[in-house]
Amino acid sequence: MKRLGCILFVFLTAGQCISAADKNLNDPNEALLARCSVAIGDPNNPNELLRATWDSVVNVLKIKNLDPKVKENLVDKIISPIFDFALMGKLALGRTNWPKLDASQREKFTALFVERLKASYREKIMRYQDEKVLFQPAVKNKDNIQIPMTLISNDTKYAMLYKLRRAGESWKVYDVEIEGVSILLTYRSQFNDTLSRGTVDDLLSQLEKTAGS
Amino acid sequence: MKLKLYIPIAVWLVAVTGCATAARKNPRSGAVSPADANSPGKANFDVLEFDILEEEFSDQIIIVDPIEPWNRLMYHVNDGLYFWVLKPVSQGYKAVVPEPGRVGIRNFFHNLATPVRLVNCTLQGKFHSVGNEINRCVINTTWGVLGIWDPALDKGKIEPATEDLGQTLAVYGLDNGCYLVWPLLGPSTLRDSAGMVGDYFLNPTFYIEDDEARISISVVNVINKTSFHIGEYEDFKAAAIDPYIAMREAYIQYRQKQIQK
Repeated sequence: MKRLGCILFVFLTAGQCISAADKNLNDPNEALLARCSVAIGDPNNPNELLRATWDSVVNVLKIKNLDPKVKENLVDKIISPIFDFALMGKLALGRTNWPKLDASQREKFTALFVERLKASYREKIMRYQDEKVLFQPAVKNKDNIQIPMTLISNDTKYAMLYKLRRAGESWKVYDVEIEGVSILLTYRSQFNDTLSRGTVDDLLSQLEKTAGS
Repeated sequence: MKLKLYIPIAVWLVAVTGCATAARKNPRSGAVSPADANSPGKANFDVLEFDILEEEFSDQIIIVDPIEPWNRLMYHVNDGLYFWVLKPVSQGYKAVVPEPGRVGIRNFFHNLATPVRLVNCTLQGKFHSVGNEINRCVINTTWGVLGIWDPALDKGKIEPATEDLGQTLAVYGLDNGCYLVWPLLGPSTLRDSAGMVGDYFLNPTFYIEDDEARISISVVNVINKTSFHIGEYEDFKAAAIDPYIAMREAYIQYRQKQIQK
């Protein structure tokens, strides 16, 4: 019976992959995702990667009468491949604090932290109202690449900086600066502070407690 | 008027001298404790990769915060003021005053504060910015009708400077001193507070004799400014584990970037 379940599962997922490839989609969400996705011309070009991802997200946000939950889910699927969330967690704890966690704590921490990052990114992006974005040329910083971006909203300009590093075949974002404020460092000082007062478990429970607030 | 002038000067002097002594105590991070090497879980950990990326974050400034309990209290006071007073008032204001009007008011106040930026650009030897500020002020005050429009930026692409006295003092070698949270004014440091007092004298609104008028004008300025940023603090707070620490860190980083510019 178990085996039958497995086979059925494989068939179903395989079927979905094939239909996705054919663009003849049964699942309306997958269809939406495919329709909104902007093709990335050259994955070796980090500027292109960011711009295509941004355009895809904007396409999703522009769909009217779509359930916000579905929208969130789609945005999540689009942005996840370009962020190195696990590395962000490691770096946010830093070289001093990361080794203090044992394997299970690391797993729990990463899961909680990734969900928090995604949630806060989603929240920001969901309030999108025709803001304009201007990507500037990438700047090489040792082995990594930094892409400045200006977000113009209500005549107010926000300077953003995406920091990317090579991860296998593609480039992945490991930190974002908004007006010179690094998301990673802002988390790091909070983690430092919490760990200087309490234990790793305190940190984990605090992460859990403040989730979705 | 005389007394009014003396109090800020006294505060300023105390703050500057206090700053100078506190400056040397400001430690920087980047040091790694040797105990790490023996910690558990080190083996399955890509040390080299970590090192490369860590280097980038090694210039993080650690701010001293000796009066943290007080600062935390002030943070909560400001948090309450924002949610109970500033936010609802700004939302109401935003609903009534259309965006072009609010942009005009923002431009007007920005243009009025030209002396602050002009003096600080000069003190920092940024003469290109001095020229820009003069051009901007002349163009916007005339063509832009008292600074309500910003043709210098829209048509002339002349970017405004963002210098203030806190940054000038930093350029002159003064460190942050300690972290301070002021009621109403929000996060600051000893040095930036000194700067704020100095800048206050350079802002023409300070020389309005009538107290009521002077206060009303700054209230309008604050509400108008806030109307562009409703929701930002809420997002920031939602993403934080300890919003007080997050705010302190964000403030220090933000100022550091401004100083480097």
